[in-house]
Amino acid sequence: MNNHPIRESFQKGMVFAIIVIFMMMTGFHMIAATLVSKIFGVYVLRGSIPDVRFMGYVHILFGFWSGWSASGKTGKTPARIFQGFAAGLITGGFIALFDLLLNFLILSGTDIREYLSALSIESMDYFLLNLRQTGILAHLGIYATAGLVGSTIAIFLRSESVQHMWQNLKSSISNFTTQINEALPMFVRKYGKYLIYLVLLAALVILPTKWGSYMNFVIGLVGLYVIAGIGLNIIVGLSGQLALGYAAFFAMGAYSVGIFNAPEPHHLMWGFWPAIVIAVLMAIVAAFVLGVPIMRLRGDYLAIVTLGFGEIIRILLKSDLLTNFTGGPRGIHAIQGPTLFGKPFTSDIDYVYLIFAGVALSIFIYNRLQDSRTGRAWLAIKEDPIAAQATGINLQKYKLLALVIGAAFAGLVGGISAARNQFTGPNDHSLMVSINVLSLVIVGGVNSIPGIILGAFTLKGLPEILREVENYRQLAFGALLIVMMLMRPDGLWPSSRPQMEKGDCSQNGENITNDGGKNA
Amino acid sequence: MPDIIIETKEVSKIFGGLTAVNKVNLEIHKHSIYSIIGPNGAGKTTLFNCISGFYKPELGEILFQGECIQGNSTDFIATLGISRTYQNIRLFSKLTAIENIMVGQHTKLESNWLDAILHTPRFSQENKKSRSEAIQLLKFVGLTGFGDFLACNLPYGMQRRLEIGRALANEPLLLLLDEPTAGMNPQETVEMKKLIRQLRDELGISIILIEHDMRVVMDISDQISVLDYGKKIAEGPPKEIQANSRVIEAYLGPGGAALAKKYQNRRRKNA
Repeated sequence: MNNHPIRESFQKGMVFAIIVIFMMMTGFHMIAATLVSKIFGVYVLRGSIPDVRFMGYVHILFGFWSGWSASGKTGKTPARIFQGFAAGLITGGFIALFDLLLNFLILSGTDIREYLSALSIESMDYFLLNLRQTGILAHLGIYATAGLVGSTIAIFLRSESVQHMWQNLKSSISNFTTQINEALPMFVRKYGKYLIYLVLLAALVILPTKWGSYMNFVIGLVGLYVIAGIGLNIIVGLSGQLALGYAAFFAMGAYSVGIFNAPEPHHLMWGFWPAIVIAVLMAIVAAFVLGVPIMRLRGDYLAIVTLGFGEIIRILLKSDLLTNFTGGPRGIHAIQGPTLFGKPFTSDIDYVYLIFAGVALSIFIYNRLQDSRTGRAWLAIKEDPIAAQATGINLQKYKLLALVIGAAFAGLVGGISAARNQFTGPNDHSLMVSINVLSLVIVGGVNSIPGIILGAFTLKGLPEILREVENYRQLAFGALLIVMMLMRPDGLWPSSRPQMEKGDCSQNGENITNDGGKNA
Repeated sequence: MPDIIIETKEVSKIFGGLTAVNKVNLEIHKHSIYSIIGPNGAGKTTLFNCISGFYKPELGEILFQGECIQGNSTDFIATLGISRTYQNIRLFSKLTAIENIMVGQHTKLESNWLDAILHTPRFSQENKKSRSEAIQLLKFVGLTGFGDFLACNLPYGMQRRLEIGRALANEPLLLLLDEPTAGMNPQETVEMKKLIRQLRDELGISIILIEHDMRVVMDISDQISVLDYGKKIAEGPPKEIQANSRVIEAYLGPGGAALAKKYQNRRRKNA
């Protein structure tokens, strides 16, 4: 190691101190405490102070973590323990300095909220564990002790004997599962996959009736973003074109449904189903018109042109020019929902089923496309366009095809969401929507359906459920992206390619061995 | 002439003031291995790029089976039956080995995206056939058992062979190999030589080879031509080229031929 151990302890300690202080200055510790209390059933009135023990736990946790990370992986045990202790002490020291400042602010009666809205007296007191002056000493003590304990535990867990035990445990668990798998009857092993699908299907049918309307609304939103994510993934993930104006295709779909199935502005009430078909077709036409001239562009240039296209569509919808046709900035109101077998769609639960069907359809189409000549051609273009062209792939044709199919998905999403909200306006199709869809694909995992679903839940579902942290959504977004890129650069659930030499391919149903190939 | 597969007539490629390929005439016979050698920067790869359609030559004609192909797009030329490999390996690294080969079959297959979504009979049959042929091809290039590895995870020598496998997948008539043994150890080089011979003898493919390893070139070529500063300075069977003083000077500089002769004589005396 070229870093002196003490210097490293100092660095680690400082980093954790900065994290804690930053958390305090943004008031995040209060919000987190409120959330936790809520989840564990202790109801906290808005504005009242949550249980102070929680703050104590937070301090202990960070001290522990700082000790853990500073304890290092090599060296003599007493030295490593001391490193952890030092890191904890330094974290505590910095926080103590910060505490001094807080105490000074409290005593002098300065209203710091003018500058930092989260720094109320209550929040400062809460951070100091309601102890004020003595809180400084408490912090020092807590961090030093927690650092000491953290480093000791880290050293213990990283020691060879514990690692060995852990390996043994893991291998015995995997042995156990393979044994269970072999003990299962043949038909369960063969059709177990379908059984899981069936259970999943049943859950998806039953759950929405139990959830309540708010949950259904959230799930519906997530579902719409899943469809959009899959569509964008065909463009970005499969064919490798960075398209940023995806929301423009939503707008095409949404406005098609709006224009053809609302009393205003044209009083065309063709019904939802013809309108949604028109929505998809309109998105396809738009993609085609946009795609033909720009298919020669690559990378950054394509991103800029598609971004511009998205903004042009939004501004055009907002402008006076089209007010008579699209309702201008007011948008289109009272869009009619679909009716199926005479039953009109009224509640969120109906739409949840519709959206589930849409998600299933898009997963089906995506899966079949990605494991086909077309899908492989797309992936080849993404990996190396020049080599792909030299194997006979027509780049323009396949890139345009990806854009058009991706846009069709967006048209579907736009149409459904317009009917669900009974409204569509220019601001529903802003750049932020495109970026949201793109980031959920990247965060979840490019080219991976479970990844996209996970990404949609993380980026669209969680913020809806955790309304408390809404103000910190951007902060959390940024932090999440950084952590993601460091820890899981391929996404939450990265994709994998089908096993085709050995594994049985679903389309064929039969196992082609190497000899079988020769006979063919 | 019927037994000529590809012919370049006075082909020139000019980059700004630099004439990378200067009025090169080549005639390549069917079922033969034709090597192009020359010092670095002689224009060998540029000539390949002209043939495979990456570049459009400024002057001259390229006739493939009697038809003029220069100026056509790369993918069209690939459909005619010309495949190639690259000096720096250009596999689709995040696809598995077998999928790389299946991408190579692109021009041979017909099913489109709608077939894929609906799983039409055409799709199912074609998919089955393409997969079994890909497995067969894996075996041919000696990659059996590695088909499900991502291309980027394969060792270097295997990547080279996989690239040849991909190039073979659309059943080409002409194969352009750009330094197939670059960076290989002696053992791998011997295997590669064997593979290239197999391509000619078993599959009946015509091969144009760019190669710096003279042992490989002299061993397996039927005909060799030498480029220097974009110009063809010699052509003939290996024996002739080895003795050609212009070739030796292109590699060793002026006076090189005399020097080489001196060393040869000394070696003969010692022996």
